[in-house]
This record gives sequence, C-alpha cells and structure tokens, in this order.
Amino acid sequence: MRLELKGLTKKFGSFTADDDIDLVVEPGQIHAVLGENGAGKSTLMNMLYGILQPTSGAILIDGEPVSFSGPGDAIAAGLGMVHQHFKLVGPFSVADNVQLGREHTQGMGVLSAKAARKAVRDVSEQYGLHLDPDAVCEDLPVGVQQRVEIVKALSGPKTELLILDEPTAVLTPAEITELLQIMRNLAAAGTSILFISHKLKEVQAVADTITVIRRGKVVAELEPTASESEMASAMVGRAVSLRVDKTDAEPGEPRLEVKDLTVVSDAGVKVLDGLELTVHSGEIVGLAGVEGNGQTELARSILGLLKPDSGHISIDGRDVHGRGVARRIADGLGYIPEDRGRDGLVAEFSVAENIVLNQYRDAPYAKGGVVDAGAVHKRAVDSIAEFDIRTQSPDESASSLSGGNQQKVIIAREFSRSRRFLVAAQPTRGVDVGASQFIHSRLVAERDTGTGVLLISSELDEIYALADRIAVIYNGRIVGEVDPDTPREVIGRLMVGADLAAAEPPPAAEAETADVEASSDTEASTDEDANGGDR
Amino acid sequence: MAVKPFKLALAGISAVGLAALAACGDAPSDSNGGDNADASFTACMVTDSGGIDDKSFNESAWAGMEAAKAENDDIEVTYKESSNTDDYDPNLQSSVDDGCNFIVGVGGLMAANVTTAAQANTGVGFAIVDGTPSDAEGAPVETENVFSIQFDTAQSAFLAGYVAASQTQTGTVATWGGMQIPPVTIFMDGFAAGIEQHNTDKGTDVKLLGWDAAAQTGTFLNSFEDAAAGKSTSDTFISQGADILFPVAGPAGIGALTAAEEAGDAVNAIWVDTDGFESTDYGSKLITSAEKGLSNAVRDAVLAAYDGEAGNGTYVGTLENEGVSIAPFHDFDAAVSDETKAELEALTAAIIDGSLVVESPASPAAS
Amino acid sequence: MSDSTATTEAPAEPPAPDTEGSEPKPNFMRLFGGYLTEANSVMVTIYSLLLAFLIGAILLIVSDEFTRSTFSYFFSRPQDAWYASRDLVVESYTSLFEGAILNFNTLEAYRAGDAEFGNLLRPLSETLTYATPLIFTGLAVGLAFRAGLFNIGAQGQLIFGMMGALIVGFSLDLPIWLHLPLAIIAGAVAGGALGAVPGVLKATTGAHEVISSIMLNNIAALFLVWALGTAFLHSETKSDLVSKPVDDSATLPTLLSSLNPSLRVNLALIIGFAVAALVWWLLSKSTFGFRIRAVGFNEHAAATAGMRIGSTYTTTMTAAGALAGLGGAALALGVSSGGITTNTALDYGFSGITVALLGRANPGGIVASALLFGALKAGALSAQPDVPVDISTLLQATIVLFIAAPALVKAILHLRTPRGGLVTLEAKGW
Repeated sequence: MRLELKGLTKKFGSFTADDDIDLVVEPGQIHAVLGENGAGKSTLMNMLYGILQPTSGAILIDGEPVSFSGPGDAIAAGLGMVHQHFKLVGPFSVADNVQLGREHTQGMGVLSAKAARKAVRDVSEQYGLHLDPDAVCEDLPVGVQQRVEIVKALSGPKTELLILDEPTAVLTPAEITELLQIMRNLAAAGTSILFISHKLKEVQAVADTITVIRRGKVVAELEPTASESEMASAMVGRAVSLRVDKTDAEPGEPRLEVKDLTVVSDAGVKVLDGLELTVHSGEIVGLAGVEGNGQTELARSILGLLKPDSGHISIDGRDVHGRGVARRIADGLGYIPEDRGRDGLVAEFSVAENIVLNQYRDAPYAKGGVVDAGAVHKRAVDSIAEFDIRTQSPDESASSLSGGNQQKVIIAREFSRSRRFLVAAQPTRGVDVGASQFIHSRLVAERDTGTGVLLISSELDEIYALADRIAVIYNGRIVGEVDPDTPREVIGRLMVGADLAAAEPPPAAEAETADVEASSDTEASTDEDANGGDR
Repeated sequence: MAVKPFKLALAGISAVGLAALAACGDAPSDSNGGDNADASFTACMVTDSGGIDDKSFNESAWAGMEAAKAENDDIEVTYKESSNTDDYDPNLQSSVDDGCNFIVGVGGLMAANVTTAAQANTGVGFAIVDGTPSDAEGAPVETENVFSIQFDTAQSAFLAGYVAASQTQTGTVATWGGMQIPPVTIFMDGFAAGIEQHNTDKGTDVKLLGWDAAAQTGTFLNSFEDAAAGKSTSDTFISQGADILFPVAGPAGIGALTAAEEAGDAVNAIWVDTDGFESTDYGSKLITSAEKGLSNAVRDAVLAAYDGEAGNGTYVGTLENEGVSIAPFHDFDAAVSDETKAELEALTAAIIDGSLVVESPASPAAS
Repeated sequence: MSDSTATTEAPAEPPAPDTEGSEPKPNFMRLFGGYLTEANSVMVTIYSLLLAFLIGAILLIVSDEFTRSTFSYFFSRPQDAWYASRDLVVESYTSLFEGAILNFNTLEAYRAGDAEFGNLLRPLSETLTYATPLIFTGLAVGLAFRAGLFNIGAQGQLIFGMMGALIVGFSLDLPIWLHLPLAIIAGAVAGGALGAVPGVLKATTGAHEVISSIMLNNIAALFLVWALGTAFLHSETKSDLVSKPVDDSATLPTLLSSLNPSLRVNLALIIGFAVAALVWWLLSKSTFGFRIRAVGFNEHAAATAGMRIGSTYTTTMTAAGALAGLGGAALALGVSSGGITTNTALDYGFSGITVALLGRANPGGIVASALLFGALKAGALSAQPDVPVDISTLLQATIVLFIAAPALVKAILHLRTPRGGLVTLEAKGW
C-alpha cells in the first residue's frame, strides 16, 4: 500500500495543530515521523485513523483519495493502529483480544474459540511474533502485550499499513530491540509502517525515511544515514532565533543542590539515576535534553510531589527532605509546571483565584481562615495589568483564556512573590511568540534580582536564548554541563548520549572535566540498564 | 422502600399494555359504581411500617377493614401508610382531619400516639392492635375512646409446640424470629412452653433451638422480608439436628419452608399467623399453624364501633373466643396420633377453663 | 458551576449601534423567550420538574383502576377517559398540594371561623419537618461533591449521628442550655467519626470512597439493630426494638406548637438553615472552602500549589459526616425523641444524594430541593390512599433522572444548547 498525505491541516479554533503536512509512505517501507511532544504527531495519527477530520488536505491510498469518518473506515481501508496506551481487555485471553470487535463465530453468534486461536497462531507465525493464544493478557509482560496489539492490528481484513504510535515509550530496552526486529520483519513481508517517535536512536535504527515535524509543520525530510544530532536539531528547531537582551550572569551562592538523586518508576526503571546538579543565585541553568529523560521527575522531586528513592535536594542551602510542597513554596520555591492544564491551573476557577492558588492562605489574601476577596481581586487586577493578561475580568474562568494568557496567569502567580529559586518547565509551550518573549524577559529579570532559575525546555532555542549555563540530561543523568556558546551540534550529540569528549573536539572548559568522565560512564552503562532495569 | 416506585411503575406499564389491548371494548351504561360512596361511617386504618400489602400484619388488618365494609354498606374504609414511627402522628392527625369516625392503629408501637390522638379528639373512636392505651413512657392511660385489640398467641403457639414435640424424630426442634418484638416473642414463648409440657407429661426430652424463654434470648433475622437469611438460618438449625422449624417472621419465614423442602421428607415446619396450608405454597411441609385471627378481630371492632359499642373496650383473642387457634393438620392428619389429638383437646380445655396458664412476658395485660 | 458559567455575556461586544436600523432592540421579552428555550441549568431544572410531574401524571392514570377502566372503551367514548384522567390528575396533584402547603378545606373552615390559624399551618409544618433531615444529608453529600468526592455514606453517618445524640440525650442529666447543644454536637461528632473513615482510607490507601462509604452504611444499619437490643439503649418500658427516649432537656423545642400541638416543626429546621448558610460561607469565603473547591476541580493543580490532597479528603469527609450526623441528631432529638427504631432513619441519607444533585451541590439549592422533597413526602403522606404514597419517591427519582441527563431534556423539548455547553452534574468522585 502506498499512503500519501497532501497538505493535511487540522485547526482547533485559532490553533493550528497540523499545518500543510505532506508525506508519502511507500509500500514495504518504514517511515518515521519524528517530533517533540505537542509537535502535532498525535493529531496527524488521529486524522489518519479517522478519529479526527482534517480541516483541509487529502489522504490518498494507492493514489485514490479516501475519507475516514471513524476508525472502522480506516481499518476497512487496510490501516492498522497500535496505540501508545494499549487497548486490551486485561482479563481476556490473547485470542479473545485479537478478535475483539470482529469475533469469529460459528453462526448464531456463538463464538468459535478454535477459529480465533488459529487466526492468532497464523498471524504470529507468519511474522515471527511468538504468541500463545490462550495466555491472559494482563499477565503478560508489556512487550508481549504490545505484540498482541500488533497481531490485533494485523488481523484486520486486509491490513497493509501499520501505524505505531510511540511504541517504545513503555518498553524496556531489551523489548525495544525485539520490537525493532519485528518491525523489520513486517516491512520485509511487505507491510508499510508509519512509526511515530521522538527517540532518535530507534528511528535511526529502523526507518527508511524520516519526516521531522515541529509546531505542526514538516521541517525536514531525512535519510536514516542522517546523524542523530542532525535529527535532534531539526526536532528542536533552529529557524526562529529568540533574542533576549541580557547581561552576563553574576552567580552567587548555590540555591539548588541536587546530589545523587535517584527515582525508580513504578515499572522498576531508574528514571533519575544519581543525578547531580547545582544552580546558583543569579543564574539561569538550562536543562537540555530529549523529553522523557527524567526532566519531569527532576522537577517534581524538587517541588516535593515525588519522593526520591535516594539522594538529597537542598534549596537555598537547606535540605528539603521531609518538607511538604506548601512549605517549600512558602520558603521561596517558584514552580512553573510543564503541563499547564493538568498541574498549573484550576480551569473552573477564576483568573483571580488561580493567581493566588498557592498563596490563598497567606496574608493579605486571607486572614484567620477567611479569604479576603477584596485583596485577591486587587492582586488580580494588578497582575493582569502587570503581566498583560488578556481577560474580560479577574472573575472570568481560567478555561476561557488562550494558552498564552493562561501561562501568564501562572507566571503572574509565581513572579509576584519573593522567591529564592525557580523551576520553569517548558515555560513557553503552546504560547505564541509575543507571549514567549514576554515570559523570557521576565525570566531574565527574575534572574537579575538574584533568583536561581532552572529552565527545563525541549526547545534548544529557548535554552540558548536564556541559559547562562547548559546542563544536558540523558537517561536520568546530567551527561554534560557546557557554556551557552557551545555549538548546537555538540549539545545535540550530548542529548543523544554521546560523551562530551567525542561531542566537543576542542578542549572543554576545565570545570567540566569531571562530567566528561561521568558521561562516558553513562554511555557505557546504557545497555546494562536494559538488563538491570527491572527489579 | 426503594422497590416500591418500581412496582408502581411496573403496574402502570403493564396496565397500559392491557388497556391498549382492551381499548376497543364497549362503553358501559352510566351507573354508579358499587362503592359505598354515600356511607355515613368512615373507618380508617393507620399502618405500621411495611405498607398495606405486607403479606402480614397490615394486610390482615386491612382485610378485616374490608370485611366490615362488605358486611355493612354504610361503612367506608380507607387507610394511611406509615413508613416509620415518625409518620404515626401526622397519619393519625390527617385521618382525624379527613373526618374518620373510627381509626385503627396497627401495631403496639403506635399505642402512645393513638392514646394522645384519642385524648385530643374525644369525638372520634380509636383502636390499637397489639397494644393498650399508654403514655409515651408506656404507663397505662385511662381513655374513653380507645378500643384495644390483643391476641394471646402464646396459647395457640403452646399447642403448636406440643404438636412439634410429639412429632419430632430427632428430639430437636427449632424456632427463630423476624425481630425481637412482643408479637413475635409471644409465639416463641408459647411454643417453648408447649414443648416443655410435652416433656413433662410424656417424659420426653425434646430440645428447642433458637429461643431461651427464661433468658428471653434467641435467634432473630432482624428482618421480616429476607427469606434468604431465613433459609440459611434454618439450614443451620437443620444441620444441628432440628427436624421441625417454627419461623415467626412473616414473609421471611418462607425461607424455613424452602430449607425444609430441600432437606427432604425428614424435616417439616409449623407456620404462624395464618393457616400456611392455604396461604403458602408449601402446604405439604406444614404440620399445622399457630393462627391469629387478626382480620376477624378488626372486622368485629369496626362493626362494633359502627354500632357505638366499641368505646374503651378490650378484645383479647384467646383459644376460648377462637381469636387464636391451631390450624387443621391437613396432610399430617394421619401422622398425628389420636392420642396426641386427644391430649391437645384436653390442653385446650384446660387453658380455656384457666386450670392451665400459658405465660409470656409479652402476653396481653389481663383485661 | 454556577459561579463560573454565566460569566461573559454582555461585555463581550460593546452595545453596537444598530447595523440594519430595522433590527429591533433586544427587548426583554425576546431575551426572556430566548432564555426559556435554552438548555441552561435553571431552565433544565424547571423543565425537569415539569416533565417529572407529567410522567407522574401518566403513571397516576395507568395505576388508577377506575381511570384505567375508562380506557378500555376509549374508542367508543373517548371523552370518559379524558375527563377521568383529567380529574384524577388534577385531584391528585391538588391533594399533594393540600398536604404539603395549604389545605383549601381548612382555609374555608378558618374563614368561617371553624378552624384555628394553627390548623392552617399544619401542611407547611409537615413539609418543613420532613425537609429538615434532608437539608443536613443534602449538605453532607453536596459538600463532598465539591471536593470531588461521592459521599454515598450519608445514610450510615446519619444513623451514627442519631445514636450519638440519643446516648448523650438520655444518659446525661444537665440543664437544657447545656444538654441540648451537647447532644447535637454528639450527633455531629458521631457522624463525623464515621465519615472520616472513608476519607482516611482514600487518603492513605487510595480506597474508593464510594465503596467504603456504602459498606459503612450497612455496618451502621446493622450496628444500630444490635445496639438497640442492648440494655444500655433499649427502652425500659417497651419490649419492641425501640430505644430509650431522650430527656426533655435534650429535646429540640418545637417552633409552633403553641399555636397547635400538631405542628411538629422544631428548632432543627432553623439549625439546618443556619448550617446551610455556614456551609455556603465555608465554601465561598473561607480558605478551607477554597482548598476543597480547588481539589475538587483539579487535584493535580491543587497538589502543585502545595495543597495536601489526602488531608483535604479526610477533613471534607469528616465535615460531611458531621453534617449528616447533625441530621441524625435532628431526628433523634426531634420528631423521634420518644425513641428511635431501626426504621427511623428511613432513606434520608440516600435521599440526600438526590437532594444534592438537584441542588447542584450549592447550599442554597440544597435547601430548596430539600424543601421540595419534604413537600412531596408530606403531600404524599397526607394524600394517600387516593394517591399512591410512592408517588413522592417516584417524582423525586424522575426529577433527578432528568437533571442528571440534561441532554435528554434538551432533546425532548428541542431546547438550544447554551453558551458553554450543557451543565452536567459534577460528580467527579467516580
């Protein structure tokens, strides 16, 4: 099957999620779509699978334009999808899950277990997937569950193109290796594969063609021979240069000290692995890295939402172990969460209530357990003016604001009280350029008052524009700390786990010597993690 | 409670279906319905919790009301249901407001409420079923207009206990109650006394499970509806050797009958309140029943009230006035020996002439 | 929620000068008409009530034997069926009204001088009496809703409150100014203690409060059965399963019995209004309410802002339990002061859920819907047996069914979708 997308565009109101996407998947080819979270990959897949309708543009299969009003149409046309989050009925057997929605019957609606089993066996033998049709799904390892999903997708009436949406996100390294082999087998057998990912290594390992999208646009078409750093810089972009006027940093005493921080996920994977990081007063440290390398866990550990398995965090010289979130905030920790809608705002609350969300108990907003509506209102009016929040009134609900203005509400909340240290995670995600610039200048102004700032961003441009020092995170460790004048290629290589010595031909700054060694350790231990990862 | 709107809705829906089928019928000629629409005397009943169709207490009393109406077409009857004790007062009050001439309160818990209402409305006649006029503390109160209807069911249960003791093969019989309230425990006391009588007279050693008359403790479901709980309780007693069951629990007692049926021929039961051979589907498992003539008593009270003769009188159903009795043996007629039947007659006579007194703490106060 | 939905109607566009000239100004009638045909939360509530009464009327017709019989010859004489149905529905709803608000016969008698003013107030008094426990249980469910919790346990909490108030009510010998408040507080404490359990379990183990609180209902009901049988609680004068009466010094004084002894409404009603006002104040003015609402809307953002989610769940459930416990105290020290039985609690706790849903978890709405449900109960009790007593439960259930499915009301009546979409109930506990 040859799949072609022509000028595919999807708009949600004024927001363009996908903008004029062109893409061709040749028969038997593995085509990777590479992009950061929020780049528009999921929207693209949902349009392909009939879950969303394109605003404009066309989908062509073997040259014929098609339109899908639902997944059923897509399946009928020969598309199969493996979702990032499995859609399996846990207590059902493999065979039952595979036949779900198109059950094998022997007439009169009586299920035919034999036919279902045979179908699973046939498909899994054909592609070397090794599945026991009678195994109960919820007892299977994640990697095997994913194979069930693949068999399910392949069992469609005439599946010729398989869409894999972030298939490796939940897998262990060993399972990833296996999956990649399965993908090669499938392609060799003639199935086309559309592979959605932001993991450069995997893409490089299996893809025949790579399309990079950023902010809803195709920004590059690459061959698999392209280097990872090429891919990384395409992903995070270099087009718009965000210039921020700032003077040199005047770092003072340490405001954040992270020592040997380790966090083990529920799945048993070390998402933070002995991370070390220091941020001083009056400097912005940019944390660069491909998403999913431990940035989220680091930020949540600093705030106190996540309890580290080992290691120490000191804020403003005090070990914060055992202190709750509220206490850390009261002691001067500012926090801009990466997921605004989930962690940043109470959508149903008014703008005013959101602005005081983490100070509602403090004077002057409350006295003796009673919220002083007047004081809250006054603060909101002031903040709205100061941060140029476009809202009808302080009483309007936060949900009715645009993304940029919602982010300004959070900025206003965090920047209108005295702070010692600030974590800013993806502070300009989904925010228009004007608001971005405003937020950037506020971050620099914040630094100039002596606050230490940890900037976590998936956009290298943002890091370059703001950071006084750049730390690169990979696999839960800081693999390098470099100056902001370090070439982009070097950081790109660090972001994919290369060691600093190899990344940076000229001698590194003396301070980073230790990190060079640390990062080479990391590189060496990456594959060991694959085996030691689960407990 | 929660089931009832559903029942109402279900009745409605099925009625619509039937009506649709029958909607082609001919129109009747204009005529007045058979109701006693112009009756001069209205008798009203205030139920205990459980509703008018509880297959038990309230339903039997209501049957007596309707029987009175059937007998005298100058009597109209109506009722108010109470969902709990808090509804007694407003129901009694609105019955008064509706112009009822005679108001029957069903259940001893209502005694104080009826008494208060009677004192406030001396022009209206009242009756209490299973209770006597009393104040909130339970102390007796003299009234002019409260008729008291009580039953000495210990007497009929006594005979039932005697029959059970004569019929048991295992030497063990069992009883259990719906709730530990006087109208229930009086049956159990009488039953226990009947067994004791048999043990004394005939030198047997029949044991009773489920009720200790001396300590007034025993086995209760705390429900009059939960037949499943009744069955599992009965199963337990059967496994402990009981071969005759005496459930005093209204509809929940059906559980004992299903348990007896499952247990086979060896296990049988005795019913209460009504003749279970007629009122249940398990006639073949029922040796007899300890009957309580509630309907007749209510009917007679209403008729007496119509004649202005109710006043503050008292009716106590006894073996003597046939207000209580044991039912015929039906299928077990051959099984019960003539000797036993003769002894039962002698015991009945002894109770009637007062030479034998069956006592229970729950017995109606002597009139 | 109501405080956030109707936000930006007018100022969005400045009053533009008439573009066409012929365009009439948006006069009041047009705006009002537009409002009536829109599925906003007020109109959905009103239409739900009307639809419920319509369905109630249909069920009344089909469940009445005489009226049903007129349908058997519908095609030969349809007017019989029509008149019979009309008369039945009008009479039934009239007698519900008479039992709940004002009895016209009594009014006649009063005008003629044959009845006291007190008699006239009796239906209202009954309505208020039955509404009183519902105010408390409605608040107990509604408060928890606001924190995103579904408190199904109000029934058990009410039972515990009843027992707590009862025990203090009969076992202590104190002057009324001390005894009565103490007994009321005991009810709140007992209910709060039971309410705290699902809160603590959710906060510490993640156990779902619906499961734990519904199980606690059973535990509380059976505990009451057992407790009533103990010598400590059991009545000394009655052998039925009924408790000791509370002392006069712990009995809630009636408000109007000086007018007529049958007017049962007591001080608990006033306490209920005051508590509703307090809950409103707590939710909208206090920092505690701010926290409850933030956690209820978005626990992640609340946690990120430093609010402790677990302790919010615990305190909210405790407070909710205390509210239901107050309802229990209102019963045990009020209409049931002569002694409580296993049946005293009826289904006040479960009805609290429907009251809270109809009141949309707003204290004012809860009071209003408690009064409505109290009126239905009082009306049905007085209108029986001509009107089946179950009609009140049926109407309540139908009303809430429509409230819970605004899309259904919208579809039936072809209403327009309001700005901001349909307001569905925010039972986020699920």
